[in-house]
Amino acid sequence: MRRGPASRKLKQGALSLAANSRSAFILALALAGPLAACAPTSNKGETVLTFSGSALGAEGTLVAKQLKRFMELNPGVRVELQRTPDDASQRHQLYVQWLNARVGNPSILQLDVVWTPEFAAAGWVLPLDRYGPPRAEFFPATITANTWAGKLYALPWFADVGLLYRRTDLVPNEPKTLEEMVTDAQAAMSRRGGPRYGIVWQGARYEGLITGFVEYLGAFGGRIIDDKGEVVVNRPEAVRALEFMRDELYKTNVAPLDVLTWHEEEARFAFQNGNAVFMRNWPYPVAAMSDTAQSKVAGKFAVSPMPASGAAPSGHSTAALGGAQLAINAYTDHPDAAYKLIAYLTAPEQMLERAQAVGQYPTRPALYNDARLRSAIAIPLENARRAIESATPRPVTPIYTELSEILQIELHRALVRQVEPREALNSAAARINALIERTGMRKLMSGAAKESAP
Amino acid sequence: MRKISRLGHEARIGWSLVAPALAVIALIAIFPLGWTFWESLHLDELRMPWLGKPFVGLANYIEIAKDPRFWAALGHTAFFTVVSISLELVIGLFLALAMNRVFRGRGFVRAAVLVPWAIPTVVAALLWRFIFESQGGIANALLVDAGILKQPMVWFIQTSTAWVPVILADVWKTTPFVALLLLAGLQNIDLTLYEAAAVDGANAWWQLRHITLPLLKPAILVTLIFRTLDGFRVFDLIYVLTGGGPGTSTEPVALYTFNALLQNLRFGYGSALSVVIFAITFGLALLYVRGLGVRLGGEES
Repeated sequence: MRRGPASRKLKQGALSLAANSRSAFILALALAGPLAACAPTSNKGETVLTFSGSALGAEGTLVAKQLKRFMELNPGVRVELQRTPDDASQRHQLYVQWLNARVGNPSILQLDVVWTPEFAAAGWVLPLDRYGPPRAEFFPATITANTWAGKLYALPWFADVGLLYRRTDLVPNEPKTLEEMVTDAQAAMSRRGGPRYGIVWQGARYEGLITGFVEYLGAFGGRIIDDKGEVVVNRPEAVRALEFMRDELYKTNVAPLDVLTWHEEEARFAFQNGNAVFMRNWPYPVAAMSDTAQSKVAGKFAVSPMPASGAAPSGHSTAALGGAQLAINAYTDHPDAAYKLIAYLTAPEQMLERAQAVGQYPTRPALYNDARLRSAIAIPLENARRAIESATPRPVTPIYTELSEILQIELHRALVRQVEPREALNSAAARINALIERTGMRKLMSGAAKESAP
Repeated sequence: MRKISRLGHEARIGWSLVAPALAVIALIAIFPLGWTFWESLHLDELRMPWLGKPFVGLANYIEIAKDPRFWAALGHTAFFTVVSISLELVIGLFLALAMNRVFRGRGFVRAAVLVPWAIPTVVAALLWRFIFESQGGIANALLVDAGILKQPMVWFIQTSTAWVPVILADVWKTTPFVALLLLAGLQNIDLTLYEAAAVDGANAWWQLRHITLPLLKPAILVTLIFRTLDGFRVFDLIYVLTGGGPGTSTEPVALYTFNALLQNLRFGYGSALSVVIFAITFGLALLYVRGLGVRLGGEES
């Protein structure tokens, strides 16, 4: 009798167990996950792919529909949906554990925008260049974020960008600079019956704090790591950006101290209940806030890109880039079929359908000229497009997660006034440099630079 | 000669009888510990396979010793343990003394007092977070109404005030457990001692100092062991309430270890941290057990 793929997988797992001699804990997770999730029984000659991606609610229905269509177009291929946690850090942890055990499922991985270099440097995802992906058809920032050592490792599936929400009844015109935003906020707050808060953002000690900081940083012309790989997060521009954020809390008093414990949802509640003039957030709240049943600001808000500082000549309007990417598991037996599926899901038609079903932004600029997208995205297409064009990836490096942890801590320390901004950023820079040394990144990055030179 | 071999024989039977138990202990305690220790001597970063998995000797331990964040975390843990346990012991003793009296509904009160202890820590932590969260939270409303605060404050952005909900939550949740342990101790005290003392004219305070407290010492020590070890491993409460913040100023060692091990997936370094925590709690346990043994011995003589 022929052994099914399930038993084969078990054997592979057991072999990799012996080979890697990882801790029993990881193995238990690594093996139990994919085995419990799916034991594909394939007909002879059929290629079985496993797809793991956001699969809750409307998104799940949409994915199922698109996968079904893909299978109809490719009769030899069957795609099974493998459920993974929707929470990004949980999914990340699972992926890392499975890939350490060299598990080939899921064959297609859904990566957060900051994971691609990490997975690429680890050799866990395959470079896509040999399939001739249509790089030029995507927003450049989304391609940069998925490129490591000169090679493209994932295709952007949908984009998330940081946006500035504004109460149009209080501030009719989009502020052109950060400084103008603050004075607009102050003016609106001091009106009779004006909102309690000027601007709300995400200031808790987590990844969201970095995305906000990246936007202020760009607005003042600063960077975290420059093109040569030098850590520049303690340069004067960066210090001024952090000081500006801190002044919003303690000097210009437009942001409530509460934001230092807030994530996206707390900011949304405040804005949606009419308590704030401005809000920094992702596109997702637009739908809920346009619903008069639950929102006090329906029809009274607009969305635009975050402005640049008027006082920094090198500053530019900057949005943090988020979103999901699709990549091929390096241990899959069917990389070609996997690419076919990725290409299908990131094709214009599927992207448009995705925007219409769940409101997620396409990563292809051409679609922003398509009238069908207008009704799908609740804000003017021009604003959405401008925001994505001003999007900047967070540092594209395999050690991003630890780098981010260092920055989160130091930024938070400065914002709660445990230390001065300059001191916090100096300490962050020193610790990031130490991290680069410890992880051998210096060597890896110079190697990467050489490889990327044609 | 014969006697010795007989003893040897008995010893063999003895060993073979405890062998299964020893095997289980080895399997669930010693083996993982040994593995963790072995792992702690390696560089093993799950996210950075390009570094390989070289043997690095004590490098991880040296990194721990040089890391200010670790020492700070150790300080936070000690602070949390000492403050919360002191409060729990004092309040728990009062509760135990009250519950030890004979009154109507005593059984009901004893059961009711245990409710906070029965609530899962994460749920309790979320509850307390809800109370202290945001300027419009319950704690702020009560304190402003009572005139204690002039205006609502954000509790979680200053180190000193961030500790308040953490310690309150722990005291609220664990005092019942402490009270119950002490109550058990109280019930072991022979009531005739009090009768004799009363006949001799001793007042309540004298009885407490010279009868209750000395005879309660074993129970207090048992409580201290449990609570110190718990306090030292505190994780879920702080994870939910402050996340170790603001900055890392309320981060305990367990949270720091969790971070290294499961967030950053630094298995070598994280294992070294686990070994250090193990060594500390083991040392504390030894200290207490020894203290307890001496006291018990003293009592018997």
